[in-house]
Amino acid sequence: MDRNQLAKWFQAPTKMAHKYSLHAVYFCTGCGIIEVPPVITARWDAERFGVIPTATPRHANLFLITGYVSVKTLRAIIRTYEQMPEPKFTVGFGSCPINGGMYWDSYNTIKHLDRYIPVDGWIAGCMPRPEAIFVAVTHLWTLIDKDMADGYKRYRTNYAAYRANQERALGELEWPPLFPMERGR
Amino acid sequence: MRELELYFGPQHLGMVGNFSITLTVEGDRIVKAAANPGYLHRGFEKLMELRSWIKNFPMVCRINVVEPDSMEMIYAMGVEKLAGLEVPERAQFIRSVYLELARVGSHLFGLWAYANMLGFDTVAQWAMYHRDLILDLFEELTGGRVYHIYIWPGGVRRDFPEGFEDRIVSTLHSVGGCVPDYDAAFFNNRLFYDRAKGIGTVPREEAVTMGGTGQVLRATGMAYDIRKVDPYAAYDRVPWDVHTREDGDAYSRVWVIRDEMIESVHMIFKLLDAMPKGEVYNRIPNPFKWRIPEGEAYVRCESSRGELGLYLVSDGGDRPYRAHFRTPSYPHGLTILERALEGASIADVGNIMISLYVVAPEIDR
Amino acid sequence: MNGPLRTKLDSIFRDVETELADDDRLTVCVPKDSVVPVLSFLRGEGCDYLQLVSCVDWTERGELELVYVLSSYTGEANPPGAARANVLVKTGLPRTHPSLPTSIGVFPSAEPYERELHELFGVRFEGHPRLTPLFLEREYEVPPFRKDFDTRQYVEDHFGSIPPVEEGS
Repeated sequence: MDRNQLAKWFQAPTKMAHKYSLHAVYFCTGCGIIEVPPVITARWDAERFGVIPTATPRHANLFLITGYVSVKTLRAIIRTYEQMPEPKFTVGFGSCPINGGMYWDSYNTIKHLDRYIPVDGWIAGCMPRPEAIFVAVTHLWTLIDKDMADGYKRYRTNYAAYRANQERALGELEWPPLFPMERGR
Repeated sequence: MRELELYFGPQHLGMVGNFSITLTVEGDRIVKAAANPGYLHRGFEKLMELRSWIKNFPMVCRINVVEPDSMEMIYAMGVEKLAGLEVPERAQFIRSVYLELARVGSHLFGLWAYANMLGFDTVAQWAMYHRDLILDLFEELTGGRVYHIYIWPGGVRRDFPEGFEDRIVSTLHSVGGCVPDYDAAFFNNRLFYDRAKGIGTVPREEAVTMGGTGQVLRATGMAYDIRKVDPYAAYDRVPWDVHTREDGDAYSRVWVIRDEMIESVHMIFKLLDAMPKGEVYNRIPNPFKWRIPEGEAYVRCESSRGELGLYLVSDGGDRPYRAHFRTPSYPHGLTILERALEGASIADVGNIMISLYVVAPEIDR
Repeated sequence: MNGPLRTKLDSIFRDVETELADDDRLTVCVPKDSVVPVLSFLRGEGCDYLQLVSCVDWTERGELELVYVLSSYTGEANPPGAARANVLVKTGLPRTHPSLPTSIGVFPSAEPYERELHELFGVRFEGHPRLTPLFLEREYEVPPFRKDFDTRQYVEDHFGSIPPVEEGS
């Protein structure tokens, strides 16, 4: 480890700890699940980057949304995202969360994921290669260093707008608001 | 005892794929199970009606992510039957080699999932590594690791590169040379026997009435394989056997998967020896203006999970009028799974689900 | 196997039309009330494998055509590869309020197919024990797989109208 890294550990220990232990919640949301097992197994070992899958969102701080999101899955994604403790980072994987991708005219998939939950980074591709996932993880480290990976803070400040979008897409939501909103909404 | 309703939901470490099962349990025993698909529904068949015949090829392979090649094959077979296209001999052999490589890759993925369910993490890592070696072969041939779009109506897109057959043979030798290790670590392991023997039994009458195919039927002793029943591509040009087991439980199904993988490897060697030279595709009319005459067809092939069928209707236009995929995981994951889970314990849900080889995107399309 | 099957069908049922194609596929067109008797007759003659229940929306004819694809697990002499049954049973339903009796009594494997056709095409199957939605989680005015459901317009109306969340608002 070179001396710059040591200095960083002393100056900003929490940031270094967040960067180098991104635990991903294990949720196979879509097509992209076909490239996640190669990434977390021995050949393209993700654990050398600190990324391992966890069973429950309560222990996780990285949410990889792999592939397209259907309306039923969006409910599960929002509930999972709200269960994760802060700070948490979201990465949209594949071209489908960006703008609908190949299913742009499907009646059952949502087209832009960042209108419903905040997204810190996107990985383009259909499917992205495992190397692309590692480039994304290192890019996320740079964003965390520069304090630009603030999706969870934006969720807190803009919660009313996010919840309004979620209700427009899904109808009545069965869970109460996560953060207090003003009365009269 | 009181009953409790649990969601073995989409976000679960024991679930491979975005699928949910609503379990009614009493203690540790499942009383009733209700499958809850729909998390991956894209309305595929409706989207196919809006795109022309050739534009559907990149779409169709995404119905099943684990083995997209059988989807390309079945759609090409349907289009060729409706349009009356012939496929040259060399292309039939290439298609068979390609599909058998995909079958081995898909079974290795299933082995990864199943070994993980049971806790054999080392064997799971081996299986995923060997699958990656096969994906390297696909990448050399077609340019993509996962979605290949190699089968074209009228043949295949391009011929094998120089020396590709030797690379196939050496990769399969390195994968096949590890079979004694797999046997010692997993298939002959007493722990696998204790965890899987007698679990999730699907007797032959139930499999037959519920429309089961593939390993679910072959593990009950019935040698039903579409590659023998209704031969397509080059499967009737080389000798090979259908493997069966007797008991119909998870143990038999996983042993059938292992035997099929080894048979596929031998089949690839025989096909490579018998492959003739020649053209690899017959030209189709201008794909942007291709109109296929009116008609309907039901074609079927054997994918790694069972019988895959397609009901394709054309009204003389330049896009499909109706395409309906009959995917093997549909009866396995909806009716057979619900029956096999009754009386099982919660720890065996993943065990039974993966031994039936239920792949969720196939159910929802 | 399909040729003799055709002769038997023609002799027993009065209101069916049969056709045997060159690739040995038998197509049987029946009115909707004879679907269950014809299916149970075919089951008794050895077609024990219901492969698919599908539906095609023919807007010019003004009908929904229900198709049952049947085959058999075992052939006549039962080596693998012997001649198998290959039957398509078709029936036409009106596009307004289509309904017909369920075929679960003959083929229990038809249960999820009928559920799917109910929610995607709007066909009611009388006597089905569980006609609840299978894939969809909301109601649509027109069942989504019918030809008059414009999916691109639906996407624009419902998903295109959702605004992006502004930064710092």
